[in-house]
Amino acid sequence: MSSPDCEYRDSLSEILHLCSDILIKIAQGDTTQKIEITSDNPDIQRLINCINKLSQEVEVMINLTHELAIGICEHFDVLRRLYLGDFSATASEESSIEVVKMLGQLINKQKERFLDYIAEIKKQQEEIEKLYDQQRVTLSSVGVAILVSEEDMTVEFCNEEFERLTGYSKEEIEGKMKWTAFFSEKMLDRMIEYHKLRRIDPSLAPRQYETLLKDRYGNIKEVLLSVAMIPYTKKSIASVVDISERKRIQEQLIHSQKMESLGFLSERVAHEYNNILTAVLGFATLLNAKIEDQSLKNYVQKVIDAAERAKDLSKKLLIFGRKEELGEIKEVNLNKYLMDFSEFIKAVIGKDIEFVLDLPEEEIFYRIDPSHLEVILMNLATNARDAMPEGGKLTVGLKKISIDIEYSYTHPLVKPGSYILLCISDTGVGMDEKIKQKLFEPFFTTKPKGKGTGLGLSTVYGIVKQYEGHIHVYSEVNKGTTFKIYLPTTDTGKKTSIDKESLKGNETVLLVDDDEQPRQFFASILREFGYTVLEACDGQEALRIFNENKDSIALCIVDLVMPILSGLEVVKRIRQIKPNQKLIIMSGYPVSFKDMVSLEKNLSVEEILYKIREVLNKEG
Amino acid sequence: MADRTLDFSGLKCPLPILKLSAVYPEFKSGEIIEVIADCPTFERDIKTWCQKLGKTILNIEKYNNKVKVTIRI
Repeated sequence: MSSPDCEYRDSLSEILHLCSDILIKIAQGDTTQKIEITSDNPDIQRLINCINKLSQEVEVMINLTHELAIGICEHFDVLRRLYLGDFSATASEESSIEVVKMLGQLINKQKERFLDYIAEIKKQQEEIEKLYDQQRVTLSSVGVAILVSEEDMTVEFCNEEFERLTGYSKEEIEGKMKWTAFFSEKMLDRMIEYHKLRRIDPSLAPRQYETLLKDRYGNIKEVLLSVAMIPYTKKSIASVVDISERKRIQEQLIHSQKMESLGFLSERVAHEYNNILTAVLGFATLLNAKIEDQSLKNYVQKVIDAAERAKDLSKKLLIFGRKEELGEIKEVNLNKYLMDFSEFIKAVIGKDIEFVLDLPEEEIFYRIDPSHLEVILMNLATNARDAMPEGGKLTVGLKKISIDIEYSYTHPLVKPGSYILLCISDTGVGMDEKIKQKLFEPFFTTKPKGKGTGLGLSTVYGIVKQYEGHIHVYSEVNKGTTFKIYLPTTDTGKKTSIDKESLKGNETVLLVDDDEQPRQFFASILREFGYTVLEACDGQEALRIFNENKDSIALCIVDLVMPILSGLEVVKRIRQIKPNQKLIIMSGYPVSFKDMVSLEKNLSVEEILYKIREVLNKEG
Repeated sequence: MADRTLDFSGLKCPLPILKLSAVYPEFKSGEIIEVIADCPTFERDIKTWCQKLGKTILNIEKYNNKVKVTIRI
């Protein structure tokens, strides 16, 4: 298009002027204008054509340049957004310029690859997190206290068991506390040195060692520490096992062995001493009878009195050594006994001390020599009184308890089973650990010289051991002391509720015992309770009677020890005749057989009848 | 009132939009800027640029052979 305002329309100079104007515009980048006029002069016309051609070419170049620039700007912007994490940015893949188009495609492919890579990393991250979680749960529930420490001793991780052991929470510990806060100061220097050495070379520090843990309340616990370095890090992982209980059990065992040795020694000494005393006492008594001089008689009497006291002392030592023969063991109603005996206790402790008797509703029976009960109660009550000079409270409790296997794991000297628990508690001055350790040793006393023999508690200990029982002592200084006496029971607790009618029967029983007295005794009881009794005084007679009456005999009670044919032989032959015959072996001492019920002769009548009924009622 | 003004007078296209592309990432999103240039193809360039990069043209003003374009980043 020509310029309509051109002043030099037709002249050469006008045309040239127009041409130069157009060239200036082209130079400025304006290619919108063209020279529309024609000239007769071929040279001029060629110039016009050239200028128009130049305009066209320059326009194409300008367009290309601009498209290239816009493409660059656009891709630059997409790359920038991707760099900033905006993955919604997508490069344009449309451009007439091949390289701009390819750059757009490349950016998009790169973005896809990058996104795949991120997805892969995320997946791996999730896997790592899962493993990490699994590891955490494993470490948390492993049942042993665990902590992971950084090189600067900060605790990075600890598990629930560690929380329990120390009394601190994870929130308080992790990333905030150093492990040094959990151990006794006196162990720290050595432990810190191990910490440093381990980071130089793990073999320079022990893998496992015992140390002292301090919880948030200042309690010290003995622990076994096992430490290892975590590979590729400067962190260490440690397991902490509380061995206080184990140590306590070890000490218990050592203590019990010590008491055992002391018992043996006491018993030997007392035994020898007794022999000498028998001679002293015997000859002194003879001498006393023979001399008539009263003043000499007085001297001899003093010798006799001193020897009697010495004999009493040796008796106590024998009790401690558990060699003193058991006196009259009988079924004692403990509730009634304690109720009656509390009057004596009240007299011993005086009015300043309140006495509480805590008895269960159910009556508890126990086979014991009542004089032993008296020794136990009097000794403990006297000690309690002495521990409460300013007054206080003495409680005597009684109950039945059952000790399970788990309890016996931590108290290896106590067998699981049923026990009678006699509990004597005072609110007195208490005692420290040192005294507690020596409490039951003979001649150990905290009383002033001349006030105590030091044999009271060792006698109690001896008596309790004689019944295969245990004594546990709990004491706190200025708070009081509790003695717990566990006496094992073999009964099933049915004694108190036995209905006499249920003990009756009408079956035929063959009773075999070579000893006439017990045989007649048992026979009369069985008859009294409705049974038909066939008696045999030896094995041969028993077999003869059994052969004749095998269909009517419901039960055979056979004494274990008999001349000619032993009880076991008789049982064997009876079984050959009638394999499913119900049988009870009877003996004077406790015995047990795998496939047969045994019966102690010294059990109470009710117990014997109960056991017989139990066997008869059993099917097959 | 624009937050800032960029004067590219004297620069030949497509230099103004290339310069604009280089500096605008420093601006905050939503900022109003004025871009001035005197190249005859600038107006076409900035329109394409805004369309491709998703920016809004608020005003175009021409004076003394120059073009002033107001855009929101």
